Amino acid sequence: MNSRQFLIRDLLVLLAFSGWALALPSYASEFVVSMALTCLMYVALSSSWGLFCGSTRYLSLATSAFFGIGAYTTALLLGQFGWVETITIGAGMAVVVAVVMGAAVLHLRGTYFAVLTFGMTELIMHAVTYFEKTVTGTVGRVLTVIPENNVIYLTVLVIAVLAVALSITVRRTRFGLALMGIGADEQRAQTLGVNTRLIKIAGFAITAAFAGAVGAAMAVRWTYIDPHAVFNPFIGFQTVLITLIGGVLTLWGPLLAAIIFSVLAESLRLQFPQIYLMSLGLLLILCVLYLPGGLASLRWATFKGWWTDSRDWAKDLKRELSGEKERDKQRLKRREKESHFV
Amino acid sequence: MSITAWLELIASGLITGGIYALVALGLNLQYGLMRILNIAHGEFLMVGAYLTWLVQTQFGLSPLLMVPVAFVVLMVLGVAVHFLCFRRLTATSPNLDVFEARGLMVAFGLMFLVQNFVSWQWGGDLRGYDYLTEPVKFGEAQFAANKLLVFGLALLFSGALIVLLRMTLLGKGVRALMQSAIGAQLMGIDTKRLHPMMFGIGLGLSGVAGALLSMAYTITPYMGQPYTVTALIVITLGGFGSMGGALIGGLFLGVIEALGMHFTNPSLKALLSYVVFIAVLLLRPEGLFTRKGRNA
Amino acid sequence: MSEQATPLLEAHNVTVRFGGLVAVDGVSANFVPGELVGIIGPNGAGKTTFFNAISGVQVPTSGRLIAHGHNLTGRGPHRFAAHGVARTFQTPRVFADMPVVANIEFGLKFAGQRRRKYVFWGDEVDVPWALRDAASILSLIGLSAQAELPAAAITPSQQRLLEIGMALATRPKLLLLDEVAAGLTESEIEEMARLIRRLRDELDLTVIWIEHAVTTLLRHVERVIVLHQGRKIADDTPHNVVRNPEVIEAYLGDEMAEPSADSEEEEVAA
Repeated sequence: MNSRQFLIRDLLVLLAFSGWALALPSYASEFVVSMALTCLMYVALSSSWGLFCGSTRYLSLATSAFFGIGAYTTALLLGQFGWVETITIGAGMAVVVAVVMGAAVLHLRGTYFAVLTFGMTELIMHAVTYFEKTVTGTVGRVLTVIPENNVIYLTVLVIAVLAVALSITVRRTRFGLALMGIGADEQRAQTLGVNTRLIKIAGFAITAAFAGAVGAAMAVRWTYIDPHAVFNPFIGFQTVLITLIGGVLTLWGPLLAAIIFSVLAESLRLQFPQIYLMSLGLLLILCVLYLPGGLASLRWATFKGWWTDSRDWAKDLKRELSGEKERDKQRLKRREKESHFV
Repeated sequence: MSITAWLELIASGLITGGIYALVALGLNLQYGLMRILNIAHGEFLMVGAYLTWLVQTQFGLSPLLMVPVAFVVLMVLGVAVHFLCFRRLTATSPNLDVFEARGLMVAFGLMFLVQNFVSWQWGGDLRGYDYLTEPVKFGEAQFAANKLLVFGLALLFSGALIVLLRMTLLGKGVRALMQSAIGAQLMGIDTKRLHPMMFGIGLGLSGVAGALLSMAYTITPYMGQPYTVTALIVITLGGFGSMGGALIGGLFLGVIEALGMHFTNPSLKALLSYVVFIAVLLLRPEGLFTRKGRNA
Repeated sequence: MSEQATPLLEAHNVTVRFGGLVAVDGVSANFVPGELVGIIGPNGAGKTTFFNAISGVQVPTSGRLIAHGHNLTGRGPHRFAAHGVARTFQTPRVFADMPVVANIEFGLKFAGQRRRKYVFWGDEVDVPWALRDAASILSLIGLSAQAELPAAAITPSQQRLLEIGMALATRPKLLLLDEVAAGLTESEIEEMARLIRRLRDELDLTVIWIEHAVTTLLRHVERVIVLHQGRKIADDTPHNVVRNPEVIEAYLGDEMAEPSADSEEEEVAA
């Protein structure tokens, strides 16, 4: 399949997915629709996160910050502005913060960047809390204007489809190539003409725009929001986990993982929320250790590789236990000693 | 404010600072030596606390006894964790940046795993027990006996680690490895044995901190994360890889926090500590207490 | 040789300091179009750091860098690339997971982009025929057969050629080659030198070449700059440089004294 055929295939799958998601509310139960809504939210978050963080390998933990900014925009502005305008402004505010944050910290590498984005997220949360307490005198905000459930669902669906569509197109553009170059060897890409600073800020801003839009849309699901709920770092963590387990460089990995995890989350949430989170953690560890490309990179060859690896490991263990390894070592030592006398 | 009140305030800051220093030292050991940023570190502190609490309520054993036991248990756990989770990364990562990123993600997963395991087994409620709660007097100032004990032991363990690193052959090997991994290996220092052991010691310290904390404060499955964050801030202030810096930074941060809590409200204090953290990372990444030119 | 043409790149008193260590100490040099310049010096002389400074990878502690009359001091590498400065790295830094041809196309798509005759289509303006597309660049460096292989799968000396190809893809005016002959055999070095000569001649480039294989370099370049402990101690023709007493002292060897037919034996002994 050449690249044009890939593109058509990807767009068709996206179309099918959106059609199915569109039709869902008309025949499924409220519980399923609510699950689908969470799923779509994470599809949007993880696809946009993977777009930037996957190729450039800058792990951003700032998703919760942008989500919260979007949520607060809705809490403050919905009513004065229309639904679509509020979402757009929410995304816009998140982008502004991302540009400022990015300009300050994007020159640092991997772990520093991850830690810093986490620190900044907490900083924003505490700043908002402090501001609300001292200046406006509130702890949280009540949302009074609530659009219909259908509208919310449709909005999040549109955002999710946009995120995936953007993923599909960006990787075929110069921008996507620049992102990959930054992830492969940033300095080399610079010497070949890539303005890495600008590109990184742009990519970071894209993750912010989607997270802000999703936050703005989902805020109305809670009638009361406060900083700890909407700036909850867990939102960012879960996004990262889902994208990494799904396959950070792939297109469909994050989507697949988002679906699986939304189903798991909703079914386990009421009775065994901790088991869900434990399995998330365990799965992440296993993936990083044995499947760095994520679930989407699973192929027959991977299974075969695991099989031969474990067989080799078992053989080695047998050798060691039967003392053969020790005997081989001694033989080698004796031979070395003899060669010294030559 | 009277002198006594000042003393009490600073002392309470030092006490929390001692714990911060202990946790930070462990984290520093893991990052400075092995470049593993273990953000699950606080969770193991929590495990130490729960272990102590369990033993105290089930068997009535004194928590003082549990302090060395917690160290040993967590050290063994640390060696196991390193062997299971991190060793493979050293073999399969193409370069240091990828290794660090993967280590961070594995630690992430561990955080989820450990935190929720404890929450699942023992519930999310606050737990605690009473131990040595009678106050002790120094002149006019008054302190709870258990908190004094916590401070003393925290300093003891921190000091022991620093002495270990400076005086013993093992410690010198560790410091050599931190300065130049390849050079040290050429000298015959065996990283295969050293890394798991040092990782274990790091976790052991965290467990001790947890055991100590359980003596004087209530515990919950979620108590670990703030300590990880604080430890991160401390090692940033003190300089990644600098042991003395972690000790001083921990005590310093404890005092600053106590003063901050007293004179302003808690949200501002949290806000300020993050501002300081980010400022240091951006402007002086080698730390406030290190000499410039030291290898981070 | 060096007619009074407008310099392509001017380095004025460039100093690079790392903490207490001075890697490059007040080096000034001008490079005019069409030169083939060699930079030599003992280990630690600051050659690669100087390259890093004039390609934007390292911001100089002091001094000025001017390309085509534009002051580029302190600007990032992509600005230098946009002004026609391309470089290779001592250890080849190729994009390991991408195929060889994609590595070349990378440079073409960024710093190598040129305006097209009719804005969106037509041939690119001002581009040497040999650099017109990835295929022509591949045949120029001799890697056409390896086009579809991942860059990690080719041999190190092929990777070095790929490095040069990637640099060429940015359609440079100035090509900085950092020890491209390291580890090659005698005949391979000769071939590399001839390729470099060809590139300069056919593509109207200025080439600056750092090399340890001093005798080969001296045979092919027209001008030699010698660095020692960060300072420039000589800037002259090969003939004069090898007779420069400071240079001889810096290298502590008489292999430099007589570049003649005996030089091959001397290089082997070195």
